[in-house]
Amino acid sequence: MLIRTPPPKRPRAAAMETGATGSPPPAAGSDRTLVIYEDPLSATPPPAAGSDRTLVIYEDPPSATPPQLDSSSSHQMLCTYQCRQLVKADFLVALSSAEKEARDCQSSLEAMNEKFSKVEAERKKYLDQFLYTEQELAAAKGREQSLQEQLLKDVTDSQERFRKQIESYSKLEVKLQSEMNLRMKAESSAASAEEDVGILKEKLSHLSESTGRGRRCLESEIEQLKGDSKLSATRISAELERMEFRANNAEKESQLLKEQLEDSQKQFKECLHLKGELEKKLSSFTFQEVTPSPTESHILVKHLQEELRNYEAEVREARKLKSSHENIELLKEKLLEEKGRRERAESELSKLQEIQLSMKKLEDELSFWKLVTKDIPGVSCSEDLPVKFAALQREVIDGTMKVGEVNARLKQLEVALDSAQIDKQKAEAEAALAKEKAEVLKSEVKQIQTMLTMVTDERDNLRNIVNELKKSNSGEAGNQEASGTGTLIQGLESCIEKKECYIKELETSLSVQKEANNCQYEEVKLLNERLNNEAKRIKSLERENDRLRSEISLLESKLGHGDFSAANTKVLRMVNTLAVDNEAKQTIEALRTELQKTKERLQAVEELKSQSGDSGKLVDSYISGKITQLKEQIATLEKREERYKTVFADRISVFRRACCEIFGYKIVMDDQQRPNGIPVTRFTLQSIYAQSDDEKLEFEYESGNTNILANSYSSQREISQQVEIYIRKLNSIPAFTANLTVESFNRRTLS
Amino acid sequence: MASKTASRDIITLRGSAAIVSEFFGYAANSILYNRGVYPEESFVKVKKYGLPMLLTQDEGVKSFIANLTAQLSEWLESGKLQRIVLVIMSKSTNEVLERWNFSIETNSEVVETGVSKEKSDKEIMREIQAIMRQIASSITYLPCLDETCVFDVLAYTDKDVAVPFTWIESDPKLIANPQMIHKVNTLVSYKNDEWDEQ
Repeated sequence: MLIRTPPPKRPRAAAMETGATGSPPPAAGSDRTLVIYEDPLSATPPPAAGSDRTLVIYEDPPSATPPQLDSSSSHQMLCTYQCRQLVKADFLVALSSAEKEARDCQSSLEAMNEKFSKVEAERKKYLDQFLYTEQELAAAKGREQSLQEQLLKDVTDSQERFRKQIESYSKLEVKLQSEMNLRMKAESSAASAEEDVGILKEKLSHLSESTGRGRRCLESEIEQLKGDSKLSATRISAELERMEFRANNAEKESQLLKEQLEDSQKQFKECLHLKGELEKKLSSFTFQEVTPSPTESHILVKHLQEELRNYEAEVREARKLKSSHENIELLKEKLLEEKGRRERAESELSKLQEIQLSMKKLEDELSFWKLVTKDIPGVSCSEDLPVKFAALQREVIDGTMKVGEVNARLKQLEVALDSAQIDKQKAEAEAALAKEKAEVLKSEVKQIQTMLTMVTDERDNLRNIVNELKKSNSGEAGNQEASGTGTLIQGLESCIEKKECYIKELETSLSVQKEANNCQYEEVKLLNERLNNEAKRIKSLERENDRLRSEISLLESKLGHGDFSAANTKVLRMVNTLAVDNEAKQTIEALRTELQKTKERLQAVEELKSQSGDSGKLVDSYISGKITQLKEQIATLEKREERYKTVFADRISVFRRACCEIFGYKIVMDDQQRPNGIPVTRFTLQSIYAQSDDEKLEFEYESGNTNILANSYSSQREISQQVEIYIRKLNSIPAFTANLTVESFNRRTLS
Repeated sequence: MASKTASRDIITLRGSAAIVSEFFGYAANSILYNRGVYPEESFVKVKKYGLPMLLTQDEGVKSFIANLTAQLSEWLESGKLQRIVLVIMSKSTNEVLERWNFSIETNSEVVETGVSKEKSDKEIMREIQAIMRQIASSITYLPCLDETCVFDVLAYTDKDVAVPFTWIESDPKLIANPQMIHKVNTLVSYKNDEWDEQ
């Protein structure tokens, strides 16, 4: 045990005693020599503070003193006193020096002790720090273990996800390749379609050029035709003019003839009048003159006959003129008709030309399209064209749909790529964070290393100090303080060696941890990448999930609406639904009610029959008799009706014949209805002196009013004049009809 | 074993043929009562599935539903029935006003082997109760039927099913402009009471 405080200085007497203790006390009167032993040459360092270092005065034992000193004892006594004084002085000097040295040693000891205390404090500090670092190391190890476990779990999870993702990626790649192939096919088909379209366009351009040329040819032909038509039109117009001139001339001639006719008619009338007078005269002459001269009468008769013949000739000429006039009018009508026909023919000619042009165009187009159809593959006739077009359209639609699908998938892939890039950026950020953490760890490691270097430096310094102390204390009495300090130094050295070992272990562990951290950092990077990829896959899966959910909802809604696939499902319902049953029931009930009613009637009838058995029979016979009577009555009435009809028919025919013979007109009665629903009786009159069947008059009788209807006969000039005079002005149809009969009679008789 | 599914607007029936066909009969009666297709006085209250159910007393409707359920159970046993649709139409115009879809899920193993899966009666009844309550709740937000209506039942079967002589093929009787398809939430909370089967 090292005592800090130096032991108290013993007094010299005590020192003497202690010095004497080591040796037997000198006997009284014995002569001893006092030798103070001091080894100044020892290089031992001063002892540590508190070392118990005593000054031993060595005395030679008296055994060596010879007994022959009695003679010289006084001398010796004086010498010894001087020696003693000298020795005492020397001893004192030595003492003082030793005291000084002791003081120095004590101070050095104190300093050493202070240093020792400082070193111990520092050692404790280092120990604490060491413990702290050990704790930190343990914590770091624990964290590393936990991190490793987590990393292992993440690695396994990410490996699984990575495998799945790789599988999905492989599938996606396969799909991509297939889609790219489809796209290439679609592009090639689109290119081929474009080429076909270009070819068709070229053909169209050729066709348009050919049609243009055809049009020019046709236009030239049209111009030629126009010229020809103009020439023909001019010819026709010239002919028309000629015909018009002829017609005008004929009209003029007819007018002249009419005037002549009128004159001749007047003359005829006068002749008739004269004839009548002459006949009267003749008749009077025949009564008055019994025997007139035959020659004068013969002459008169001859003269009259000649005049009659002349008049008859004039009448014939007038009739001829009239007939010619009528012919002229007919010719006029024919002219008009022919004019109309000519105009129609011209219009139709123009139309014909247009139709011919269109026909030529159509023929050209047909030939062109036939050529085109020959060029188009897969088309043999015009009927195949729409089918081919439909097939081409379907192909185009399919191609566009495929292109659309490919585009949609490409867009999905682009979206996935964008998401992957985003995830990559996130991974890079996380990697940066991990790097920062690693750098922080590295800085901590560096700090620990610096601490270690500082600790080693201090350790070295302490070693040096210990060595110096050892050297300084090696000269001192090889004694307890040196052994104590040596033990202390050995203990310190052992502690330092242990610390060095610990430090070495720490360094090795640090290096190992560095390596482990680097590996973990790389693993963390890989795991982060895998995590990001898995996150992307998860997002894509979520999107697919949403899409599938939407599809499911759509399908469910369709199911809810009632849609179904006709290939797998059919809808059945019962035939005899309640409605049908109800209707059947209703009909059955109605029939039952009718049955019951009929049954009741039958029962009543049967009851009646049963109640009156014979009367029933009489009733039946009475009924049958009545029926026969009624039938007979019906037969008689029918016979009467027939008789009345026949009598009426006879009477009416007689009446009609009589009317015809008395009034000179065949009358036909006809009942008709006007558009407004009013019933009207129409009478057609034909004179018995009519020269043709067209000479018919039509009258309309309605509630006491008779009106003449216009027709071809009544619209003739003579008739219309008479109609105006007698019917319009004089309001007398009988006068008109009478005048007409007289005229027609005259015509008949004269012709 | 009739049960409800997570589908939103279709009632799915799963269970033995007898139970499902019987259940459909009761469900049809319930719909006819709640939608007012037939007058209320023509219905009688009975206890079934732990709930008060209403059955029509009209002989015509009874016989119709009885014949229907017999044929449906036959098709269910053979696994050929896919869906049953109860259609409510206007009597005057024959316009389809409502369609009630009952989707059928058939376990092919059960159909082929003929061995039915075991399920407790309580569980079956609980599920049927849920569907009945689902029907009753969905009626609360359906529009009122102001005109006289008639109903018909359509069966969606497989294509290879032989058509019985009392049945004919029909059109699906879709609604022309469906206003909305009600999404029924199948999670219904109710108190689990003990019931007595009639």
